[in-house]
Amino acid sequence: MKANEQPVAEQASAEDRPQPQPRNTFECRNLSVELRSSGGLACICRSIDFEVREGEFVSIMGRSGSGKTTLLRILGGLLSPTPGSTVRYYSEQVDGPPRGVITVFQNYAASLLPWRTVEKNVALGLEGKVSKDEKAERVAEALAMVSLSKRAKDYPWRLSGGMQQRVQLARALAMRPSVLLLDEPFGALDAMTKTTLQDELLHVYEQTGATVVFVTHDVDEALYLSDRVLILQGDPSTIGESVAVQCSRPRDQIETKQSEGFLTLRRKVYEAIMQGHD
Amino acid sequence: MTSRMRRLRWINWPGLLTMGLLAGAWEAAVRWSLLDYQYLPAPAAIAQGARTLLTSGELIPNVLHTLLVTLIGWSLASAIGIALGLLLGLSPTAYRYSMTSFEVTKAIPPITFVPATLLIFGFSLRMELVIVVYVGVWPVLINTIGGVRGVPVELLDVARMLRMSRYHRVRKLIVPAAIPEIIVGLRLTLSLCLVLAVVAEMVGNPAGLGHALVLAQQALQPEKMFAYVLSAGVLGITLNAVFRSAAAWMLPSPTSGRGGGSP
Repeated sequence: MKANEQPVAEQASAEDRPQPQPRNTFECRNLSVELRSSGGLACICRSIDFEVREGEFVSIMGRSGSGKTTLLRILGGLLSPTPGSTVRYYSEQVDGPPRGVITVFQNYAASLLPWRTVEKNVALGLEGKVSKDEKAERVAEALAMVSLSKRAKDYPWRLSGGMQQRVQLARALAMRPSVLLLDEPFGALDAMTKTTLQDELLHVYEQTGATVVFVTHDVDEALYLSDRVLILQGDPSTIGESVAVQCSRPRDQIETKQSEGFLTLRRKVYEAIMQGHD
Repeated sequence: MTSRMRRLRWINWPGLLTMGLLAGAWEAAVRWSLLDYQYLPAPAAIAQGARTLLTSGELIPNVLHTLLVTLIGWSLASAIGIALGLLLGLSPTAYRYSMTSFEVTKAIPPITFVPATLLIFGFSLRMELVIVVYVGVWPVLINTIGGVRGVPVELLDVARMLRMSRYHRVRKLIVPAAIPEIIVGLRLTLSLCLVLAVVAEMVGNPAGLGHALVLAQQALQPEKMFAYVLSAGVLGITLNAVFRSAAAWMLPSPTSGRGGGSP
C-alpha cells in the first residue's frame, strides 16, 4: 500500500539487490525541542539522534513529561524543533505534516467531529482529493479493517471509547498511510479493550506494511507490538536506550508475553526507564 | 408512545399550576381591594380586554407588524453578525484592527442610540428596523467570533494532519464546530430583536404592539394595555419555542441546544 507513495524506480532497484537494506523513513539528527512554559522556554529534548526504518514498528517510551508526545508531534510535522535540528522524512526535511504520514491522537473524543457520522468522519481526509466512488470504497474498506462496518451511520458520541478510537484508526487507514504515528492510542481504554485493539493494530500493520511509531507508557504494550523500543531518559531527555525486540511474529497475547525473551526484555526496559529517577 | 402522549408529558404541569395560582391570587387581591390602584386591572378584566381587541380586529395587525419587523430585523442582524463574525474570527489581521472600536462600541448601552436614531431617521419603519438590527447584531457577532476562535486545538491538529486545504478547513471543520455557539447567539438576538422592536414602536415608529400599548395607556384603558403586554409575551415565547425546535431538528448532536461543545 505504501507503494502508492514511493517512487516506483527505487522500489524496483531495491528488489534487485540480494539483501535490501531498508531505507530510513525518519531520520533525526541533533534534534532539540523547546516549548514555552510558565518559566520561559523549557528544553524538553536535547540533541536526539535516531532513525525509523521503513516498515519498522518502533515504540517510544519514557516517564511522563519526557517528551514522548512532543517527539511524535515533530515526526508528524505538527510541531517544529529548535533551529539546527534535522528531521527528515525520507530525503525531505519535515516542514508541516508530510504526505502519507497520519497521526492517531490520544484524545479520541476530541479528535472526532461530533456532527459527522462515523463514515463521514472516516471520509474527512479524502474529501476533495479522491473521486466519490473511491472515497466510498476506501471508507468501507477502512471500517471493515477495524470491524466497525455496522456502525457506519452512527454518530461517534454514541459509541464506546474503544469504538471511537477504532473510528480514528479507520480515518487514518482510509488515507492509506505509509506511516502511522500513534500517540498513546489505547491509554484511556480498559485492559480487555486494549488487548483486542493491540491485536487489531498488529493485524493492520501486517496487512498494510506501514511504518509505525507508537508512543506508550505501558512496557508490555511496547514490547508486544514493536520491533524496537526507544527509551527516553533524563531531563531534558535524550534516547537512553534502543532495545530490539526479537520475538517472532505473529505474536500472541499469552505465548509471547510469557516467553523468556519477552521477560528478559521487560526487565531491561523497566530498568532503563527507572534509571536516574530514584 | 404516541406523539400526543409525548406532548402531554412535555408540558410542565406543576409550572402551569403555579402560574394559575399566581393569577388567581392577583385576581383575588384586586377583587377584595388588597391591591387598590385605579389602573391595575385583574386578570379577568385583562382577558376581557384581549377579547375586545381580538373581535375589533385591532390585535392581529399590531402583532403581525411587530412579528414582521422582529423577523426581518433578526434575519438582517443574523446575516450581518455571522458574516462579520466569520471575518473577524478567521482573520487575525481584521481582528487586531477592529477590536478597539468593537470593544468601545459594545460598551455603550444600545438603548442610548434610540434618540439619535429617531433624530436621523424620523418616526418611520426605517428607524425601527435600524434599531432592531443594530442591537440584534451584537450577540450573533460576539458568539460567532467566540465560536470560530474557540475551535478546539485537537480539531485544528486533525485538519493539519489530514492536509486539508484552508477552504475545507473552514467549511468542514471550523464553521460546523462554531455552530452550537452561533445558535446560542441567534437565539439571544431573536429575543432582543422583539424587545427592541417594541421599544422602537413605543418611542418612534407609530405602528405595532409598542405603539398600540402606548395609545391604550394614553387613552386610560389599562385592560387593553395589559392585553398588549401579554401578547408581546406570548409572541416572545412562541418565537423562542419555534427557534428551539428548529435548531434541535437541524442539529442531531449532543451539543445542540447548549452553548459550546463538550469540555
